[in-house]
Amino acid sequence: MEEVMNKLGQVVESVEKYNQFVLDQVKRARTDQKFGRDLLGRWNDIKAKIPTTRAPTGLPLPRLALPEIDEPGEIARFLFGEGLPGEFPFLNGAYREMYLEPVREVESFEKNGGSKAKKIDKRVPQAEEPTRLFSGLMLAEDTNERFHYLTRHQRTHRLSTAFDGPTLYGIDSDADGVFGKIGEGGVAIDTVEDMVRLYDGFDLGSANFSASMTISGPAPIIMAMYIAAAKRRFGPNVIPKLRGTIQADIFKEVQAQNETIFPIEPSLRFLTDMVEFTTGEMPRWYPISISGYHIGEAGSTPVQQAAYTLSNGFAYAEMFAARGIPVDQFGPRLSFFLDCGLDVEYIALARVSRRIWAIGMREVFGAGAKAQLYKLHTQTSGRSLIAAEFKNNLTRTAAELILAYMNATNSCHSNSADEPFTTPSEEWIRLAAHGQAILLEESGIFKHTMNMLSGSPGMKAVERAVEAAILDEFREIERLGGVLAAVEDRYQRSQIQNASHRYEQQINDGVRPIIGLNRYRDGSDDIPEVKLVRTPRKKQQLQVDRLAKFKKKNAEKSKRALDKLAAVVESGKNCFPELLEAVEVCSLGQITGRLQDVAGRFRPMV
Amino acid sequence: MASPIRILTAVPICDGHDSAINTINLEFIRHGIEVVYLGYHRSVGDIVRAAIQEDVRAIGISSYNGGHTEFFTGVVDLLRKKGAADIKVFGGGGGTITHQDAAAMRRKGVDEIFFAGTSLDEMVKFVHQRYGKPRGKRARAKTSDIELAHTLTEIEEIRKQKKIQNPRSKIQNKVIGFTGPGGAGKTTLIDELVLRFLNKDRQTRVAILSHDPSVIGEGALLGDRATMINSQDDRVFMRSMATRGQAGGLSPATHDCLALLARSGFDYVIIETVGTGQEAMPFQKNGIVDQTVLVMNPDYGSRLQLQKIVMLDLAEIVVVNKSDLQRARTAHTEIEQRLEQNRSAQRLVDTVAKRHRDPGVDKLFGLISASDKSKRGKEWKKS
Repeated sequence: MEEVMNKLGQVVESVEKYNQFVLDQVKRARTDQKFGRDLLGRWNDIKAKIPTTRAPTGLPLPRLALPEIDEPGEIARFLFGEGLPGEFPFLNGAYREMYLEPVREVESFEKNGGSKAKKIDKRVPQAEEPTRLFSGLMLAEDTNERFHYLTRHQRTHRLSTAFDGPTLYGIDSDADGVFGKIGEGGVAIDTVEDMVRLYDGFDLGSANFSASMTISGPAPIIMAMYIAAAKRRFGPNVIPKLRGTIQADIFKEVQAQNETIFPIEPSLRFLTDMVEFTTGEMPRWYPISISGYHIGEAGSTPVQQAAYTLSNGFAYAEMFAARGIPVDQFGPRLSFFLDCGLDVEYIALARVSRRIWAIGMREVFGAGAKAQLYKLHTQTSGRSLIAAEFKNNLTRTAAELILAYMNATNSCHSNSADEPFTTPSEEWIRLAAHGQAILLEESGIFKHTMNMLSGSPGMKAVERAVEAAILDEFREIERLGGVLAAVEDRYQRSQIQNASHRYEQQINDGVRPIIGLNRYRDGSDDIPEVKLVRTPRKKQQLQVDRLAKFKKKNAEKSKRALDKLAAVVESGKNCFPELLEAVEVCSLGQITGRLQDVAGRFRPMV
Repeated sequence: MASPIRILTAVPICDGHDSAINTINLEFIRHGIEVVYLGYHRSVGDIVRAAIQEDVRAIGISSYNGGHTEFFTGVVDLLRKKGAADIKVFGGGGGTITHQDAAAMRRKGVDEIFFAGTSLDEMVKFVHQRYGKPRGKRARAKTSDIELAHTLTEIEEIRKQKKIQNPRSKIQNKVIGFTGPGGAGKTTLIDELVLRFLNKDRQTRVAILSHDPSVIGEGALLGDRATMINSQDDRVFMRSMATRGQAGGLSPATHDCLALLARSGFDYVIIETVGTGQEAMPFQKNGIVDQTVLVMNPDYGSRLQLQKIVMLDLAEIVVVNKSDLQRARTAHTEIEQRLEQNRSAQRLVDTVAKRHRDPGVDKLFGLISASDKSKRGKEWKKS
C-alpha cells in the first residue's frame, strides 16, 4: 500500500502553481486590455445581481459583500484567488448563501427607493434546531427514547449517536472485564437486534432523517449492522435512500484517539471495502468524516490539526482512487470535522483548508465541482474549557462560535460550559445551543450578508501564514514517504504530543494566559455538585443476557458465516457484502475476533 | 543511594485517552520515578499480571471512559486474590469521576483519586510520600510468579547474589538475546515470536527481560509492554529494567536476574537490550545467552557503518526488520556480504514484524526453536 500514497507532494505543487496562476491573472488583467475589460464587466454583473435585504431596523444591506475594488488586477486577485462563496477555490464558503436567513424583504432598492416592500416571509423556526443532537446512553432502547424526546418538535431528525467503550473497540458486552463499561458514555450495541431497537420508530428511508454514528475502528461492522437493521424494517429497497454519516477515520485514530482494532493496513482495506459499497449503493451516505477534532483535542497546534486532517483526506482519496472508485463518486461523499479554539489561526484555518482541498482535488485528482467541496462540521474546543471559574467557558465558547462561523463552517456544535468536570447537563447544553441561536438568529452578524467578516487585512495575513505552514507540514510528511509511512513512523503522534506538552508548559509558565486559572484568579472555584447518569447494573446484565440469547440462537449459523467471511477476507475481495450477511447472525465481538485472527490486532503506539 | 520508586501506569480497557497519562508519566520520570507504562485499553487481568511481575509499589490508573468504580475495585480485588495486596492503587479521571464515586472507590481499597485541577506537583508529591518508604519485611509469596518477582526486586535493589534454589531447570530451555539499534523493531519482533511460542503448544512458558535507559538516581520510562499485545499472557513473565547508569544496554543487575530467570522453569528466556549503537557484544560476559539475534533497521547509513558494527561478527542470527522499506534489498545485500567475511555460520533473515503472520518472522521462529541444543550446556558452565 505504501507505494500508492505519494500524492501529497503533487498537492503542494498544485497549490503553489495555482497561487502563481492567480498572480499571472493579476498581471494579465493589468496588461491585457481586453482581458481586463472582460473582468471588469463580469465584476459589474456580479455586483448588479446581488439582492438587497433589510435588517429588522430597516437598514438595507446586500446579501453578499464584496471588496470595494474596481481595478482589473485586484478583481482578478479576488475572483481567482478567493472566489465568491460557492465558487472555486471556495475560500469564502462552500455554498452561495450558507446560513443567511430566508429573504425577508427583497426589493430593487435603487429603482424603487425603498418604497414598496415585497412579500415578507414571516417564517419563524417552530422549534430550536441546535444542529446535531448527540446522544448515546445505556441500552439501545434508552437511547431510542432519548432520540424521540430530542426530536419531538423537530421537522428534520438528525440523530448523532455515541457508542460505549466496548462497542468502540469492537468488543461484546460479555467480554471479560467490560461489564462496568456497558452503556457508559454511549449506547451499547452488540448485534443487529440492538441496532433495530436503537432507531425504532424513525423512518430511516425518509429525506428528513439522517443518522450519524461516531465510531471508527469497527465502523464497517457497525455500518453493516445499520444497513441490515434498515433492511429488516423497510426491506432492501431502503438501502439507496439511507442518509447519514459514519466517522470511520482510521488515520486520526492512530494519530490521536487510539480506538483502532486492526493493524493499519487491514483497517484501511476494510474501510475502502465499505466506501466502495456505500458510494456505489447508498449515494446519500457519508462513509467517512475526516476528523481533525480529536487531533486538536489531543493537543496539536491549529496548523497541525489542519495539515494532518487535509493530508489524511488526500491519502484516503488516493486509496479510494487506487481501488478504482471514480473520484466524482467518492469525492462528494467525504466530509470533514474540525476543532475550533481561541488561537489566532482559527480566524482562517477552515477557510484555508477549504481552498487547499479544492485545488488539490481538482488539480491532482481531477475532481469535478461537487467533489471539490470541503464540507465542514465544526465543534468548539473542549480542551479550551477549564474547571476553574467554569462560567467563563460560556464566553470562550461564544468567541469560538464566532470564529467558526467566520470560517463559514457548514454546521457547528457548541460545547457546554460544564464539560471539564462532567458529562454535560441539560442546563448547560441548552445554554450552549442557545449560544449558537443567539449568534445566528438573534444577532445580525451572520444572517444578512455573506462575507460579513471576510477579507480583513488581518485575516488575509493569517491565511497566508497558515497556508504556508500547512504546505510545510505536507512537505515534511512527503519527505517521510507519505501519510501512511509517516503514521507508521509515529510522526504525527509525536508532533501532537510535543505540541500538547508545550501547551501545558505555557499554561504553567503563564506565557499562555488562561483567565481564572493563571491570571485574575480569586481562588473561589464554584464547581457545582454534579449528578451523573449511570447505567444501572440491571440494564448491563440485561444487555449481557440478550447477547447470550442471540449467540445461542445463532450458534450454528454464525460459525458458517464467520468461516465464509474469513475466506472472503483472505481472498482479497471486497468483504463488505459478506459483512452484511455476517451481521445477521454474528455479534460485533464475534466478527471482530474472527477478522483479528485473519488480519491481526492493532499494535498500540505510544 | 535508595533505589527509585517503581510504579505501573495504565489506561483501562475500552479507553484510549492517553493524553493525561503521557503528561503525568513524563512528570513522574522527571522526579526520579521509574514508570512501567502498560499503555491504554488494558484489562484488569493485564494490569494486575504486569504489576505483580514488575513488582511495582503502586498502580496508577487514568480513566476517562466510565465504569471506573468497577474497574478500579476490580484491580484492587484481583490484587488481593492473587496475594499481592501490598501493591497499591491510585488514579484519576478528570471530571468523569465524581466525589461520590471517589469516596466509594476509597472505601473499597483505592488509595487516592485525583480530581480535575490537581497539579502535577501534587501527584508527584503523593507518590513520593506514599510509596517512597522502604519496604518492610515482605510476606511469604503466595505464587511462584510473585516469588520470582520479589527475588528480582531484591537482586535489583540490593544487588544481592541469590543462592541457586533449584539447579537449572530440567526443561530444555533456551536463552535468546536480542540487541540492535533503537527503532529497529526489537520489541515488536519479540512480541510476534512470543505469539508463535505460545501457539506451539499449550505448555510453553516464556520469560522476557527488557531494558530501557536511565541515569543513576533518576527515573525511567519502561515502555516496552505498552506496544506488546501477545505477551500479555499468563504464560509470559516479563520484567522491565532501567539501566540505572550502566553503559552497554543492560543494567548492573541484569546478569543475576537473567541467571535467575534461566533456572526458573521457562522454555524460552528472552533478553532485550536498550537500543544500542556500535558498541561491542552486550551479552559477552554473561555467557548465559545461547543465541544472539541482532535486529537491524535497513536505514543504517553507509556501507562503511556496517564495518563498525561488532555485533555483526558475533550474532548468530541477523535480522533485517522493516524489510518492506525501499532500502531493504540493498541492506540485505550489503549485510550478506559483510557476514560472508566472517566465515561462520551466521543466518540472515528479512522480516516485517509489524505484519500479521509475516513469513520472515515464521522463518526466524523456526531458526530459534529448532537450533542446535548441544551448545547450551557448554555455555552454561562458562558462567
